[in-house]
Amino acid sequence: MAHVWPIGGGKGGTGKSFLTGNVGIMLAKQGFKTLLIDADLGSPNLHTVIGLFYPERSLSDFFSKRVSDLEEVVLETPISNLFLISGASNKLDVANLAFEQKMRTLRAISRLDYDYILMDLSAGTSFNTIDFFTLSGSGVFVCCPEPTSIENLYRLILSVYTRKIHHLLKSPFFRDLTERAESRYPDATINKPEVLLHVLKEVDPEKAGMIEKILQAFQFRLVINQLRKQDNPTLGSLICQIIEKHLCLNMQFMGNISFDERVHDGLCRKSPFVERYLYSQVTLDLRSVARGLVNGHHGQAVAPLSMSQV
Amino acid sequence: MKKLQDQHFYELLNVEFNASPLDISRAYKELHELYREDSLASYSFFCKQERQEILAKLQEAYSTLMNEDRRYRYDRLLIERGILPEERQFQAEHRALRRASPSNHFIRNPILKITDELKALIASNSVIQEILSYDILSGKDLGRIRRELGISLDVIGEITKIRPIFLRAIEDDTFDIAPSRMFLKSYLKAYAQCIGLDANIVANRYLKRIDEQKLSSPTSHDHADK
Repeated sequence: MAHVWPIGGGKGGTGKSFLTGNVGIMLAKQGFKTLLIDADLGSPNLHTVIGLFYPERSLSDFFSKRVSDLEEVVLETPISNLFLISGASNKLDVANLAFEQKMRTLRAISRLDYDYILMDLSAGTSFNTIDFFTLSGSGVFVCCPEPTSIENLYRLILSVYTRKIHHLLKSPFFRDLTERAESRYPDATINKPEVLLHVLKEVDPEKAGMIEKILQAFQFRLVINQLRKQDNPTLGSLICQIIEKHLCLNMQFMGNISFDERVHDGLCRKSPFVERYLYSQVTLDLRSVARGLVNGHHGQAVAPLSMSQV
Repeated sequence: MKKLQDQHFYELLNVEFNASPLDISRAYKELHELYREDSLASYSFFCKQERQEILAKLQEAYSTLMNEDRRYRYDRLLIERGILPEERQFQAEHRALRRASPSNHFIRNPILKITDELKALIASNSVIQEILSYDILSGKDLGRIRRELGISLDVIGEITKIRPIFLRAIEDDTFDIAPSRMFLKSYLKAYAQCIGLDANIVANRYLKRIDEQKLSSPTSHDHADK
């Protein structure tokens, strides 16, 4: 079964597609059969990051049921072992998906035969983005060391958190619990997700404990991107501390990626960064993120990638 | 996950019940970094009121646990509530007892400044006065003074930031001065100051002994044995 990692970040321009594309290339070169999915339906561009300029098929063929099997929209890329489901040439109204569509897509994704599946999600906190996190139970968040980016990161995580609890509470098993919680504290389920769990604990400690367990089962990771020299390198672990302390989510810091002007150059030259700038700090940083993804899943150390493999 | 208001101070600061003041101040510093008004890491996560409540609570925890008296009373409170296990009572009382003796008071509070208390202790202790009456000092003498005052080497190390291995070498008279007489002198001064002695006198007498030893013979010249 494939390991599915949705990659999001709240704010636009934090490097979600850049990270997805380049980490995907590294995983593929390490010998893992890797699939990238451009789930940024509103503004797809992952194909450009990895150097595939004219994707022939795209995710919308699957949504419009022109093809029934998701495998049929998978494209080969210039890199061996790396495959892409592009979001390009989507119909322009495809950015809004019904919940059932998302379920169908995720079910189809989970049936695909790959080692790693990385999903590049859109910025913002639309249900499109959030549901890919809540449904897959895992996620990599990309954030820049700037207040605006951090603000949006928290907003995204809180949205995922709240939506998950709402899903659980709406199901019949939890319904009576919600009612009791709401009668005691009106607005509690809507206002502060953190408060919600405490309220539930008072009303019904047993069920609240179950929800807490489900939330703790989330596998969340954090990457700080575009870290400049003057930035605090421990920022990522501090953010993780806040989230673990106040939301009881399992959030693991995966590392910093240095800021580099050449990322811009690489994009303009339309060649994947890790191929063009093999010996840059950014490539080293990306490699440790890729290693973190692999290690986190197998729970054991994997030999470091050698330069030739990248 | 416990609500912040329900956490006791040890939980809040994430320290053990027997944490030292140094542990506590370190833990507080880390948490303050996380929650302070202009913290980037928690930006926008809390509303203004929430943040103020958290900071006030942290501040309260810190000032309580850093103050020996207040901490003792707080521990008693926790024991009454059954949060702190019963056997802790002994330790809390023990701590209070140790507090009664001035010399041990110094051990519990490594951050303390040299007090009149300590000076009085030195003046009234006949052993220390005898050692100080000689015009040379050995490491053994320094060690005896230190032990008379009930100050541990670790505490001196913590205050002076000198590695315990050097402090021990000073007391064992094994400090190799050939390349680093300068260092030895400043270490001696810091050591002396730390246990309430005159820095210059101690440094000069200690170095004088070493010089004399070098001049005369390799045999020991320890006046304490006389």
